[in-house]
Amino acid sequence: MHPVVRRVLHGGGFWPALPAVAFLVVFLVLPMLTLLAFGFVTIERGRIVGDTFTLQHLHSALGDQLIWRLAWRSFYVAVISTVLALVLAYPVAYLFSQTSGIWRTLILIAVISPLLTSALVRTYAWLVILGGRRGLLNQTLLQLGLIDQPLRLLNTDWAVIIGMTQIHLPFMILPLLAVLSGRDRRLEEAARNLGAGRVRTFFTVVVPMSVPAIFAGLALVFAVSYTNFIVPQLLGGGSYSTLAVQVYEQTVVVLDWTRGAVLATILLTSCFVFVYLIVAGGSRLSRWSEIRT
Amino acid sequence: MTHIQLEAIHKSYGQTQVLNDCTLEIARGEVMTLLGPSGCGKTTLLRTLAGFVRQDHGRVVVGGAEISHLAPNRRSVGYVFQNYALFPHLSVAENVAYGLKVRRRPAGEIRERVAKALHLVALDGLGARFPAQLSGGQQQRVAIARVLVLEPEVLLLDEPFNALDAKLRLTMQVELRKLIDRVGITSIFVTHDQSEAMMLSDKVAVMRAGRIEQVAAPLAIYDRPVNDYVASFIGRANVLSVEVRGGVVASAPEVVANRADGPARLIVRPENLAIAGADACWSGRILFASAQGPSIEYEVEAGLPEPLRLVVPRQAGEAALPAGAAVGVRIVDPGACIVIGGGSGV
Ligand SMILES: Nc1ncnc2c1ncn2[C@@H]1O[C@H](COP(=O)(O)OP(=O)(O)O)[C@@H](O)[C@H]1O
Ligand SMILES: [Mg+2]
Repeated sequence: MHPVVRRVLHGGGFWPALPAVAFLVVFLVLPMLTLLAFGFVTIERGRIVGDTFTLQHLHSALGDQLIWRLAWRSFYVAVISTVLALVLAYPVAYLFSQTSGIWRTLILIAVISPLLTSALVRTYAWLVILGGRRGLLNQTLLQLGLIDQPLRLLNTDWAVIIGMTQIHLPFMILPLLAVLSGRDRRLEEAARNLGAGRVRTFFTVVVPMSVPAIFAGLALVFAVSYTNFIVPQLLGGGSYSTLAVQVYEQTVVVLDWTRGAVLATILLTSCFVFVYLIVAGGSRLSRWSEIRT
Repeated sequence: MTHIQLEAIHKSYGQTQVLNDCTLEIARGEVMTLLGPSGCGKTTLLRTLAGFVRQDHGRVVVGGAEISHLAPNRRSVGYVFQNYALFPHLSVAENVAYGLKVRRRPAGEIRERVAKALHLVALDGLGARFPAQLSGGQQQRVAIARVLVLEPEVLLLDEPFNALDAKLRLTMQVELRKLIDRVGITSIFVTHDQSEAMMLSDKVAVMRAGRIEQVAAPLAIYDRPVNDYVASFIGRANVLSVEVRGGVVASAPEVVANRADGPARLIVRPENLAIAGADACWSGRILFASAQGPSIEYEVEAGLPEPLRLVVPRQAGEAALPAGAAVGVRIVDPGACIVIGGGSGV
């Protein structure tokens, strides 16, 4: 047998990844590079004019105050939503790891089932809950007498943050779930034996051991929140915009592909930088897990 | 003076009874070993003492005070886990310092006591390493230092040598016994290895299926096992079905049996049997012989359900008798034989 054929059959080297890599190159990387390239040429009436590479569009976008404001909003909305997701996800994942039988199954179904409905549908559901004077939340609060005036919830940062947090929660819960349920319980017993109470054991043993999963979740949820354009459009309202919303509007609504491509480049690049920082921070905090002798 | 008392401890998981009426007393400074086959409940009994398992009935008393209701972190009981359970995210020094930090000792005192504890287990200078950077033997010593630094009343060790290879095991056993003697701490070991139990402990508690069968000094258990199970677990033993008639064993009349006539079991250690001529109790053929320097081992087919096992001293230049040879077998010291009730032999 030819050595290459043998290696493919034995699953050696990178060969097993070849089909997936080929698929991604043809259907993801090439179209994306093409799109991004549009930002560095000049297009008029659907044709590329001039044949030279230009940084002019990128330059003018970076000089635009509006773009910076939108990027900042994308950033803080994603950060708050990601932190909120962690705070909400950790107790759920921990609870899952401490239960057994039917409760475990129920929690798992509750975590996964939102992934089976479309994000659009879930966002519309938040419209119903948060929406205006007759929204479910305002109705309830008014009837309970907790407020006299309906709160302005829709079309604010908070509506966007709440919607995103809920939609992205499974991405935070799932890595935590895996790590927390597979953890070595004897470490907690050791901590108790050395005199630590339950709370101290949780924060000095359980949490540090789950740092890799925490940061995996943070990176994942940050990336999808930072680049989400559906939730800001629906829950933020017509005049609300973020960098991701601008990419969508310039490309699909205004049909200014050059502008859209430049903004997409900025969005993607900054997203990679932030995700890299999160991952790097995580591996700094969990350097012990890479020690091998 | 009694230090630890386990009184009639019962524990069941669902339908399975794991501990059944376990009663045990351990004197101050004594080293006790829980010995028994895998799954007999040794770990569960140890965990009951540490508070990780709550017994269904029974009391745990340490130093005269009942501690059954205390949470694990309120008990002065150091536990060395089977695979050590070192905190992988903390350095060796931080592992040892963990309990002192919980007790909010000043930083200077912590540093001093950690250094002393690491010195005690001969790990000076390794404080900055992570557990994954240590050998199995070193990890074990960190686990011991981590609990001893807190000066607990009691030290519990669950099969501490299991994770070590055979050569290291012997050294560590000797080292650990010396360390315990130096510190003078009341200790309970768990093992399924009888030679380890003989070597390490002042007393051995032999367990079977959730029950404690016998508690005594290692040699006392070897010489005076209460039943054939204990006899076979500590060392090797021939267990023979015999008849007691007129106060003696019918097939071996020199063995006196202080019991009523009827079926019984005779327990004879292999070294208490010898090859004999006319005065033989049994006669048969050699199935297997192996000369091993100071002694020769024989298996003799003597018409019994199991072949007899003999270990006889070997003189210089002496060869083993060949397999197939017809021989007689006699008892060397009838006083060292044990006759217990129950008809069917093992
Ligand atoms: N948490 C538990 N739930 C159910 N069964 C258990 C549990 N812990 C131990 N057992 C059972 O109790 C028996 C004794 O276990 P253990 O004390 O670990 O034995 P040993 O340490 O002597 O090998 C085993 O049959 C084991 O399966
Ligand atoms: Mg065990």
